[in-house]
Amino acid sequence: MNWLRDVLRRAQIRLFGDGTIDELDEELRDHIARQVEHNIAKGMTIDEARRQATIEFGGVEQAREEVREQRQVVVFETLSHDVRYALRGLRRSPAFAMATILTFAIGIGATTAVFSVVDRILFRSLPYRDAWQLVSIGVVAPVEPQEFMLGYSYYEWQDHQTPFTAITSWTGVNTCDLTENNALRLSCASVEANFLPTFGVTPLLGRNFSADEDRPNAPKVALISYGLWSSRFGRDPSIINRTISIDGNPVRVIGVLDNYFQLPTLDTADILAPEGIDPASQRTANPGRVRWAFARLKPGITIAQANAAMEPLFQQMLETVPPQFRKEVHLRVRSLRDRQMHDARLAAWILLVAVISVLLIACANVASLLLARAAGRQREMAVRSALGASRARLIRQTLIESLLLALIATTVGCIIAAVLIRIFVVVAPEGIPFLANAHIDTRVILFAVFASLLCGTLFGVAPALQRPNAESLAGHSNLAVPHSKLRQILVMTQIAVSLMLLAGAGLLLRSLWNLQSQPLGMHTNRLVTSAIDLGTERYPKPEQQMAFFLQLESRLRKMPGVNAVGLSDSLPPGGWRHDQIYAGIRVEGKPLPAEGTGGVIVWRWVTPDYFRALGIPIVRGRPFREDDRDSSDHFIIVSQSFAQRAFRGEDPIGRRLQPGLEGPWYTIVGVAAEVKNSGLSGESEPEYYRLRRNRAEDWQHSARLTVQTAIASATTEQWIRSQVALLDPTLPVESETMTQRVSKLADRPRFEAALLGLFASIGVLLAAMGIYGVIAFLVTQRTPEIGLRMAVGATRRDILWLFGMQGFRMIAVGGVIGVLLALAGLRALSSFLFGVRAADPLSFLIVCLLLIAVATLAIWIPARKATQVEPMQALRNE
Amino acid sequence: MSPQAIDLVQGTLEVLILKTLALGPMHGWGIGQRIQQVSQDVLRVGQGSLYPALHRLEASGWIRSEWGPSENNRRSRYYSLTRAGRKHLDSELKNWGRLSSAIALVLAQ
Repeated sequence: MNWLRDVLRRAQIRLFGDGTIDELDEELRDHIARQVEHNIAKGMTIDEARRQATIEFGGVEQAREEVREQRQVVVFETLSHDVRYALRGLRRSPAFAMATILTFAIGIGATTAVFSVVDRILFRSLPYRDAWQLVSIGVVAPVEPQEFMLGYSYYEWQDHQTPFTAITSWTGVNTCDLTENNALRLSCASVEANFLPTFGVTPLLGRNFSADEDRPNAPKVALISYGLWSSRFGRDPSIINRTISIDGNPVRVIGVLDNYFQLPTLDTADILAPEGIDPASQRTANPGRVRWAFARLKPGITIAQANAAMEPLFQQMLETVPPQFRKEVHLRVRSLRDRQMHDARLAAWILLVAVISVLLIACANVASLLLARAAGRQREMAVRSALGASRARLIRQTLIESLLLALIATTVGCIIAAVLIRIFVVVAPEGIPFLANAHIDTRVILFAVFASLLCGTLFGVAPALQRPNAESLAGHSNLAVPHSKLRQILVMTQIAVSLMLLAGAGLLLRSLWNLQSQPLGMHTNRLVTSAIDLGTERYPKPEQQMAFFLQLESRLRKMPGVNAVGLSDSLPPGGWRHDQIYAGIRVEGKPLPAEGTGGVIVWRWVTPDYFRALGIPIVRGRPFREDDRDSSDHFIIVSQSFAQRAFRGEDPIGRRLQPGLEGPWYTIVGVAAEVKNSGLSGESEPEYYRLRRNRAEDWQHSARLTVQTAIASATTEQWIRSQVALLDPTLPVESETMTQRVSKLADRPRFEAALLGLFASIGVLLAAMGIYGVIAFLVTQRTPEIGLRMAVGATRRDILWLFGMQGFRMIAVGGVIGVLLALAGLRALSSFLFGVRAADPLSFLIVCLLLIAVATLAIWIPARKATQVEPMQALRNE
Repeated sequence: MSPQAIDLVQGTLEVLILKTLALGPMHGWGIGQRIQQVSQDVLRVGQGSLYPALHRLEASGWIRSEWGPSENNRRSRYYSLTRAGRKHLDSELKNWGRLSSAIALVLAQ
């Protein structure tokens, strides 16, 4: 390995010099000592020997200098000299330095922040062994958006599948209680014995449970999460084999999960326990238990191949599905990452592209600034060149200056990024995966540094590559011309990219506007809603639950200013509600639909005042009356679309429905107007309302209170809280106004629109700076020419026109490219838009006008300066 | 100090060092001393050119250096020839042979 050592040593000498000066000194001292010994051996006295040796050596200092020269320490000295020179240069032109650093820092900061957020969503591998092999499998059907499996077919698939090395499942997370001293509410996940092995996860401590422990009557065992182990058991390793009490049952802890373990659906679980399901009974059960299945692909099998391979088994399973539903059930095999991220993935890509566009614009600006600076420094470079600076030296000088700028900008950019991430985390709505954990890590910083170095090197060196010529010394510049061409191309790119960003932001804003201004079908003013959950522990019986709510209702009704008090089990326009398929409703006098599920139907339990409280008009028939509540009959109100769906124009009043295909028949007393019920952007579903009578069977332990008042909402909320407290002081009450509730539903689109809007604004601002810079530069460069033109009779308007045209040419070309880009690129936004097409002409028009307005201003300011040139003065400059 | 001492032709010092080191590792003083001895005091290597040359050779990869113990409890820097250095020496020696015989031919006329 000698050669390797030599190579390293040589590299070291080249880069860092030959060790320290001390080493050289030691070597020279050794030399003199030997010479002295030699002289003594020849018979000199010690003093004489030493004197001779020193004379013969010829000066330690000189030798040292010469060796140092050899050792290329010189590189470093000139380097530090160059750095100091660059710093001085930057200090001399603070406007240039500030503009460059800020532009750069904004680009890097925004990119870094967004990259930190999307990193986990798009790039970071999942915490499982060979995670790319993991897929989620199952069927999709109306009502349940995620693919799922049913007991019977799951075991069939497990037995007969071919594309997977393993297939496993779990039945989801339930709340459970640690029933020991200091009882704790936990979440428990039930998984199969092969769940962890399939994901390639091994417990941190202890072991996974065996198939035997996953039998129905096996003694209960469980794995606990790292979080629970730390917070509850103080990371005590003796937890293994200890018995804890879960929901009153003894459970033996057999393992502790690693800190980085996460469930494939990103749910959190404190306890991982065997399902204890008997496969034999599930095989005969139809449909059996709902479960979510995951599998590991065999090596070399793609997801598409797996899909095809599972098709026969899926067809077999379809046999067990009632024939009329078959069309709406599909097989789905998709990667685990897709399953986890849903639409977050597309949003993340869009965000990343947007922010990289901003970085591009910023880089173009920096390049433009550097080019302008280079053009302005031609004379300086020519002088240095004439004085003997080598070309490499000049290039190095420029490179160092731009790298220095990049370095400072990266530092500032990282600070901006840290602040931005904080803001994201605070402002962002729930449901963006991993956002709370987003932070700037080494990878992200490397990304930023790489981006800025690339940018700085590329554009910093480009101008320096041109050899300064003697002509520059005279002040005649011919280099400015190619540079300004390049700058104009840069500006056109900026305009194109920022137009695309602006158009995207414009579309999202219009979509947001549409979302928020659409008719909801109900009033939201002065309407306070409260969620009250009695819990089943203290109010185990429906009678007690009903009694509580009825008491609360009558108390609230007595409050001054209260117009209506409604009690329902859910509320529009979004969030949880009952839903069922239309085919599951029997309509009197109509046959059940022969084919298909008939789509989703939404329904709620309501009291008569619900419609008054929410301001939902009854368009036919009558509302529920107070005396209906004491009736033994069942009453129902349907929405207009439901009436249309079921009766096709016949009068629905007085007809009867059986919502569960069995059980009591409900009489339709009225038809209510449509209300938004599937979130703000979802298509509304037909809906019906069951009357909550004063009978225990109609009540549950939780209810949504809606109070319509004539007074301020804050006061109402206070009243509700105090009235609930009078009945039961331990009950928590969560109140919000309906306006807040609706607004919260638009949080996500608002966040997206705000982010893209922010980036678009930065982009436009930077582009405007770019245009301004180029025009201003042209004006300065051509001042003598302007003087000449004016001297021979050009008016100020002609001059304005001259530069205006130059600017507008850039805008026109950039704008056209931008529109084309936007038309092609913004289709990706389609799934985020509501009530507006991706190629919306109005949005495009407004965006173009806005950009033109900003650009015109950016042109006008420097162009006007050109018109103020004094011809005589300009000519004298020549 | 011999009165006949002559200055070295530019570039020949390096070959002399390489040739000297071909015999085995040696420290700077030893190299200078050896050149002087072998040339019977005709060639004297000034230290001001010896050490820069050593470092130049090392940077070119023809020799390598190592600190090693020496007599009297001192540390000395020992230089030795690398494989590349040996090759370089061979080709330099050939060149020298050609050059010196050519010069001899011209001068013998």
